[in-house]
Amino acid sequence: MPNAIQVADVKKFYRAGSDAVRALDGVSFEVPQGRIYGLLGPNGAGKSTLVKILSTITTPTSGKASVMGFDVEREPLLSRQQMTVVLQQTATENLLTVGDNLLIYAYLHGVKKQTAEDRMKKLAEEFELTALLRDTVQELSLGTKRRIQVAKIFMLDAPVIILDEATTGMDPLMKRRVMDRLRAEARNGRTILLTTQVLSEAEELCESIMILDRGRSMASGTLHELRKLSTQTFRVNLTFAETSDELVRRLQALEPEKLEVNGNQVEMVFHGEEAALLGRLADISRDTPILQFEVRGPTLEEIFIALMKETR
Amino acid sequence: MTGVGAVFYRDYRQRMTNVGFVFWDLFVPLSYLVLFGLGFERMLGQAMTVEGQDFSYTGFLVPGVLGMVTFSVAMNTAWGFFMDKDSGIFYELLTYPITRTQLLIGKISFNVLLAVIGSSLSIILGALVLGTPVRWDLLPLTLAIVILATAGWFFLFSAFAIKLDRMDAFNTVTSASYILLMFFSSMFYPLGNLPAWFRVAAYLNPMTWQVDLLRFSLLGIGSPKTLILEAVALALFTTLCLVLAVRALNRAA
Repeated sequence: MPNAIQVADVKKFYRAGSDAVRALDGVSFEVPQGRIYGLLGPNGAGKSTLVKILSTITTPTSGKASVMGFDVEREPLLSRQQMTVVLQQTATENLLTVGDNLLIYAYLHGVKKQTAEDRMKKLAEEFELTALLRDTVQELSLGTKRRIQVAKIFMLDAPVIILDEATTGMDPLMKRRVMDRLRAEARNGRTILLTTQVLSEAEELCESIMILDRGRSMASGTLHELRKLSTQTFRVNLTFAETSDELVRRLQALEPEKLEVNGNQVEMVFHGEEAALLGRLADISRDTPILQFEVRGPTLEEIFIALMKETR
Repeated sequence: MTGVGAVFYRDYRQRMTNVGFVFWDLFVPLSYLVLFGLGFERMLGQAMTVEGQDFSYTGFLVPGVLGMVTFSVAMNTAWGFFMDKDSGIFYELLTYPITRTQLLIGKISFNVLLAVIGSSLSIILGALVLGTPVRWDLLPLTLAIVILATAGWFFLFSAFAIKLDRMDAFNTVTSASYILLMFFSSMFYPLGNLPAWFRVAAYLNPMTWQVDLLRFSLLGIGSPKTLILEAVALALFTTLCLVLAVRALNRAA
């Protein structure tokens, strides 16, 4: 399947006062059509800069990026015709009504009047905006504004959807609905690139993930591939007959990355040699019997934290 | 709907949410014409002679008021970029499948219509109520000058509005421009009797080119050689400002 998004050795440097900032430092990745690709990273990792380059708001210092085969630097208009973008910042036409926000967005993307009106009615229902269609947006809450912004992308059928932290500020139910809708769009062949700091969201939604930090790619691949990259990180769930302060002190002495005690259940995340740890846990179980024992691979959050620690 | 048409529609919907703003654009120049024009006419006490023709001061001022209409409409339209920045829509607009030039032209199109209406009202008031001898045969030329100048001023102020982060900085630029460009021009007085340095500054000012051209199309006065130069200069000014505004949009991030 051809790639919908292709990014090759993209660098973006700029000056902020007297400092030279390396916002992106040689990032490369490809997203095949119909896939959901996640860009993960802390603030300042370069995710939004990458979105700005792909959506032609800014140009790369060097390297190439294309959307549906169109070079974003040399063919910006053709590239923009292939995508719909939700930027990190809440973006709504505050003086206009909710209805006008949806319609004008569609008109600006070349959607015909009747088609736009039909889609608006359906989306208003889906995003619980029907009662608000005649309300001026500036009177609405931030969460509703975000809902309007995300609803706008479904007014179009552009093959690529780019979302920069799109679900920020949404209530959990609406977030779930948006995620389901995005999965359905991907099944229908649309390609989705999303940036997020919410790791569970990326874990649930994305088929491939790139972890960015300080403008560089730290790791990329499917969740399974990322787990393999981080084989020394693992999660241990233990059930003891009973817990005590002394037990917790002994567990803390094992230097886990994370330790949570809930009643007689203990959850720990470790980074290191599994065999050595199991020996030390066996020592503990002689004094405080372990009723249940489970070792699992890391979650995306744990991979992310482990990778951050390795590089910083 | 074309890209320009969609931006036109967007601006129309936005402007119509604040009719007071539209009223301000249209009627402030009219009140200038009536209050300022009549006040000075009474103070001067006699007709002005320009290039051998006699005019009342109000008649002389009508082309200047048209200059004021174009200037105000352009300034207020460019100010809209700050509203777009405030609502966060500004960067999103740059991701839409329209060129930067289409965005700017679409944005000014509805407002050019406002400038044409405002100018027409000033001409009608000047001719029918204040007795200004208007060259009706050159009305299409008058409106063409209004359109060209409104676009030029809008592109210039847009370049500032896009580049500047702070609205108060933009307001300072526009306030200073308002005073300097209007008073260092032929808007309120003939330049013939003014000091040489003043005339040099005035002839470097696009407002003078615009008002001189309007004075020709409305009242039939002006030297053909100078007017041709001024027409070319005004067209170049508008084109250059469009290039600057597009460049500012391309570098907005």
